[in-house]
Amino acid sequence: MASILLKNVVKSFGSFVGVQDMNLDVVDEEFLVLLGPSGCGKTTTMRMIAGLEHPTEGEIRIGGALMNDIDARDRDVAMVFQGYALYPNMSIYENIRFPLRMRQVPKAKHDDLIRRAAEMVELGPFLDRKPGALSGGQRQRAALARAIVRQPQVFLMDEPLSNLDAKLRASMRVQIKHMQRELKVTTVYVTHDQIEAMTLADRIVIMNKGVIQQIGTPDDIYSNPANTFVAGFIGSPPMNLIAGTAQNGTFSAAGVKVPCPASLSGNITLGIRPEDCQVGGDNLQGQVYGVEPTGDITYLTVRTANKNIEIKAGREFRAPIDSAIAVGFDTTRLYFFGEDGNRVGVK
Amino acid sequence: MLVAARLCRSKSMAHLSQKLEKGAAKAAPAAAVYSVRRPRSAAAKKMFPYLLVGPAVLYLLAITLYPGLFAMYQSLFVVKFVNWSWAGLGNYTRIVQDREFWAALGNTAIIGGLSLSLQTIIAMTVAFFCYRDPFVRGWRIIFLMPMLFMPSAVAFIWKLAFNDGRVISDLLMSLGLASNNVDWLSSVWLARLTLIVADVWQWTPFLFIIFVGALQGQDEEIEEAARLDGASWSSIFWNISLPMMRPIIVVAVTLRGIDITTMFTNVYIMTQGTPGGATETMSYFIYRQGFRMFNFGYASAASVLMLLITIVVAQTIVKRAFKSGKS
Repeated sequence: MASILLKNVVKSFGSFVGVQDMNLDVVDEEFLVLLGPSGCGKTTTMRMIAGLEHPTEGEIRIGGALMNDIDARDRDVAMVFQGYALYPNMSIYENIRFPLRMRQVPKAKHDDLIRRAAEMVELGPFLDRKPGALSGGQRQRAALARAIVRQPQVFLMDEPLSNLDAKLRASMRVQIKHMQRELKVTTVYVTHDQIEAMTLADRIVIMNKGVIQQIGTPDDIYSNPANTFVAGFIGSPPMNLIAGTAQNGTFSAAGVKVPCPASLSGNITLGIRPEDCQVGGDNLQGQVYGVEPTGDITYLTVRTANKNIEIKAGREFRAPIDSAIAVGFDTTRLYFFGEDGNRVGVK
Repeated sequence: MLVAARLCRSKSMAHLSQKLEKGAAKAAPAAAVYSVRRPRSAAAKKMFPYLLVGPAVLYLLAITLYPGLFAMYQSLFVVKFVNWSWAGLGNYTRIVQDREFWAALGNTAIIGGLSLSLQTIIAMTVAFFCYRDPFVRGWRIIFLMPMLFMPSAVAFIWKLAFNDGRVISDLLMSLGLASNNVDWLSSVWLARLTLIVADVWQWTPFLFIIFVGALQGQDEEIEEAARLDGASWSSIFWNISLPMMRPIIVVAVTLRGIDITTMFTNVYIMTQGTPGGATETMSYFIYRQGFRMFNFGYASAASVLMLLITIVVAQTIVKRAFKSGKS
């Protein structure tokens, strides 16, 4: 149970900079998710916290203590790996026991601790099996049990669910969240899956190309994206971004016209979420490009002169391809971004 | 082989033309074209893999099985060149009472065992300390150099270094470790040591390469997980790397062990079994019986016994190692 502080952390591999000047403060007992596309530096950041990589510059502190020169094994950090990383030559019981043995926890306590950890992840009946005899989900739970058994200061999870199928992923997600609340251990979780990030996190850190794009609660990130990268990364389907110009309180692009703050002028990108558009209205004119019913909702793609716009239409919406269509925007939920990609015109 | 291939070819051709006619009768040219692509009959298909491996198998049988069977047959006779007289198991009963045979067996076990243990320990230690090194990753093949030398050349090099050239003695004296020239063949253990050093020098790389390969193939995530679990390098080695490498170690050491039991070149060139037979290995004993004393039947019987002993020992070790690895 400890806070984590990253101060001006840089990690470069030769001439390639993996993480650039990163400042991050993880509060005690917080569930923080690092989210970003592959190669954005999120795993490198986590590995630096773990001590598996050393920062080129900057400070890393856990619980206030400087960690830069402390070996991974002395950091009191537990990590769950994407590939589970269970020891194949040991039974699940021995796997969970390994950190206790290595940290000289008195032998008399082992059994009790192991059984409690196994119970927490519902692995009781499988303790004497070898990892090879377990399913993917069971292995992942064994890896979790091994991480929680010694009650570390910090949990690190590196895409722990990405090798599981969708259904199992959903149930494991709930389990991880519940466990973290129960154990109250500061957790840093790396993923490229925004659903995982949104559902698990107290706060999300969105990274791209080694730079933090935005830090905020899931709600905050969703409703107040700081720039076009965040806007285009979060949401499924993501926010529509339409390049155009603003003049005298009106934003216009090919086939699009919406009111905008009077202060904006020049090249501006408009952002509108698919759920804030509806069929019928006068903000956008285009042709139907595709209609995809999914049961509870119908995804409608509208073609305009230079871009396809995604819209979440009502469940019974149907229209023939290439027919003309008019779309209205919820004008209270428009986002404007300047030429550098950052949000502008916020009241 | 060629004839057989041709035979099955012509057979399938006949088969094919029949099909073609049938196809034409049914007026389905597309089907006929399709059947051109299936020339082999079921029998030819079944035979094909055997035909491919046939020559190699024949060759192997000719150079290993035939001499082996011949030795077994010969071991039942007292052979003086062309005069063969039936001895039954006479050679064997004489051998089990032959103190030289048991001494040779003991020497093989001592020299081979020490040499093999040293090689395994050295190879494993060096491999564990350098397998992440980029140079070792890129250039591990150069560590094979000693293995690529001709065994007899290696034996002569070490004979020069120890005995004739006195290189080692000079080195020891200049380091102050020996007061005068060491006569390596004067003492049982020194003579054995020269053989062990030569074998370790030439064959440690074999085990090293295998161990480095096994360690490099090890999942890096597992190692990192162990580090975060609080394991030191040595506990990672004992608790994780070593148990995971167990099957590979067993196979490599068994292969090397089998090879060592036939140690001949170094003995022949460096010590000739001296002093007093203390370095006479089984191979050298068999050679001496067969080609110095011309007891061909007796030598054959010793070979057969040696083969049996090797098979039994190797089989027991492998079986046991894999069994306890499983549980």
